Amino acid sequence: MVPMACVFGQSLEFISESLKMSRHDAIITGAALTPYNRRKDGTGFRDWSTDAFFDALAMAEIAVSDIDALFVASESDFFSMQLNPASVLATELGMTGVSATRCEGGGASGQLAVHAAVNAVRSGSARHVAVIGVDPSASSLSGDAVRALYGFSFDVWTDGFTGATSSALYALSYQAFAQPYGTTDDDLTRITLQTRSHAQKNPGAHLPLDSTAQDIANSPMIASPYRRLHCSPLSDGAAALIISGQAYLPQTRRSAPRVGGIGAATDHMHLGARPAPGDFVAKSVSMQRACAQAGITSDAIGLAEIYDPYAGAALQGLVALGLSDDPARDLRSGVFGPMGRCPVNLSGGLMGQGAPVGATGVGQTATMAMLLEGRYHPDLQPHTLPRYGVADTHGGLCTTAAVTILERGAGA
Amino acid sequence: MQYKLTLDYTLAPGWMRPYVDGLKTGQALARHCTACKETSFPPMRVCRCGDTQLDWVVLSGRAQVLFRTEGIDGAFALVQFDGADTRSVVSLDRFMPNTHHGHLAPSTGDVPRLCLHPITEAEPT
Repeated sequence: MVPMACVFGQSLEFISESLKMSRHDAIITGAALTPYNRRKDGTGFRDWSTDAFFDALAMAEIAVSDIDALFVASESDFFSMQLNPASVLATELGMTGVSATRCEGGGASGQLAVHAAVNAVRSGSARHVAVIGVDPSASSLSGDAVRALYGFSFDVWTDGFTGATSSALYALSYQAFAQPYGTTDDDLTRITLQTRSHAQKNPGAHLPLDSTAQDIANSPMIASPYRRLHCSPLSDGAAALIISGQAYLPQTRRSAPRVGGIGAATDHMHLGARPAPGDFVAKSVSMQRACAQAGITSDAIGLAEIYDPYAGAALQGLVALGLSDDPARDLRSGVFGPMGRCPVNLSGGLMGQGAPVGATGVGQTATMAMLLEGRYHPDLQPHTLPRYGVADTHGGLCTTAAVTILERGAGA
Repeated sequence: MQYKLTLDYTLAPGWMRPYVDGLKTGQALARHCTACKETSFPPMRVCRCGDTQLDWVVLSGRAQVLFRTEGIDGAFALVQFDGADTRSVVSLDRFMPNTHHGHLAPSTGDVPRLCLHPITEAEPT
C-alpha cells in the first residue's frame, strides 16, 4: 500500500513556500451568530441570514457596497427547499451584482466556505468577502426525515441503502478509537458534561442542559455506546463572517484576528477502507497543512472549537488535531477546561450550542474570532488571550475535513 | 405552511452493477487489484495503492464481526469478510450478543443492502 502521506500529495514545504510568494493576509473583521435552536417564531433562513450578516457587517465597520464576493454554506436543498441559495441571499442582502457562490461539503460546508473566502482575499480578487452559513435543520423536516437524509451523507450505494445512520457509523469509528486509546464511557460522560456546562453560559445555545452523569446514563440508547445526551441536536440558525484583505482593513479594526492558516483534506469514503477506522486522518492532514501555513506546530494552539457531533468525536478530534496523545488523561487533568492550557468548545460545541449544519463551520470560526479579540460572551471569555486558536469542522465521518487557524490581532 | 414533496428516483449503479446484482442473491462481489493483490469489499474503483487494473472476484460471503453497535436505528457492525483486505459496514439481522460470525444475506426489496445473518454452527476456535 502507498503511505498515506503520498496519497494526500502536496508537501508541507510547498504549501508554506507558495503562501509566502502570494501572501495577502486575510483578516476576520466581522463575526456574528444568531441563536441556534428550533425556531417556532415564523422566521426562516432568509431572516436568520440577514440578522447574522448585518451584525457581522456592523462589527467590520464597512458598508454592503464594500463587499466584492459572497460565499454561502448550506448543506442540503432538502432543508430549505431552495436551490441556488447564494443568489437568493445576494438579492435579499442588497448586494445584487457581487460574485455569489454556494459551498457544500456535508458538515464541513461552513468551513469550506470560509476557506473559499480566504482564498478570494489572499488572491487579491476581493477586498472584503461575506461568508454566510445557514440551515433550517430542525424546523423544516421531521427528525426521522433528517436522519434518513443524513444517511445519504455517506456512500449511498453501500452505507446509505444498508440503513447505516450517522450515529451508527460514528459509534463504530469511536469503538475502533477507544480500543487503542483506552477511553471509557466515563470519558464520554466527562467531555459531555464539560461541553454542556459551557453551553449553559452561552445565551445562544440550543441545549444549555444542566445534566448529570446519571441523566446521561438514563437517556435512550441511540447507537451504543452513544446515548441521546452524547449527541448534538438538529438546530436552526445562521452565522456570518466578513473577511477583509490586510490592505483594506479599517483603521478601527486593528485588533481583528488574522487567518494564520487553512487546511483541508479527504479520507476514504468507506470506514472499512481506512487502515485505522478510529483515526480522523483527514483532520490530521488538514491541521498539518494549516499549521504549515501558519508556521507553527499544534502545541501553539491555546483555544479550540472542535467538531463534536458526538461525544467520542471530540476525543477523536483532540488526537487528530495533535492537541493530545492521551485524551482521557488530559481531559481528567483539566487541560481542555475553561482554565486549562487549551480550552475546548467554550461555545458549548455542537453538543451544547447546536448544529444548523451549514452554519456550523462559519459559527465555529466566528466564535474563535470573537474569543481572540476578547469580544465573546463575558462568562466564557478567557481573561488571557492565547496567540493562536483553531476552528475544526468535518463532513461525513471525517471524510471531508477543514480547519482554520486564527492568530490574535496586534491590538487585541 | 405545510408542503409535501414526493420524489421517485431512478438510479443507475454504473460500474458498481456487478456488486449491486450480487447483493440481490447474497453474493459478495469484490475487486481484486492485479498490482498489489489487495481485495476490497465494498469494491473500490481505484485500489488504495492507486492502481486501476482491478478484477471482479467472488468472496465466500462469510464475515467476522469486529465492532458492533445497537440502538434505535437497528444493529450495525464493522466486519471483515473472508478474502477481503478492507472491512465493511453491515446491518446485523437476528444477531445474539455472543455471535461473532455471519454470512451475507440476499438483499430484500429493491435496494442493495449489506446485511449479515448469523452463522449458527459451532464457530472455529
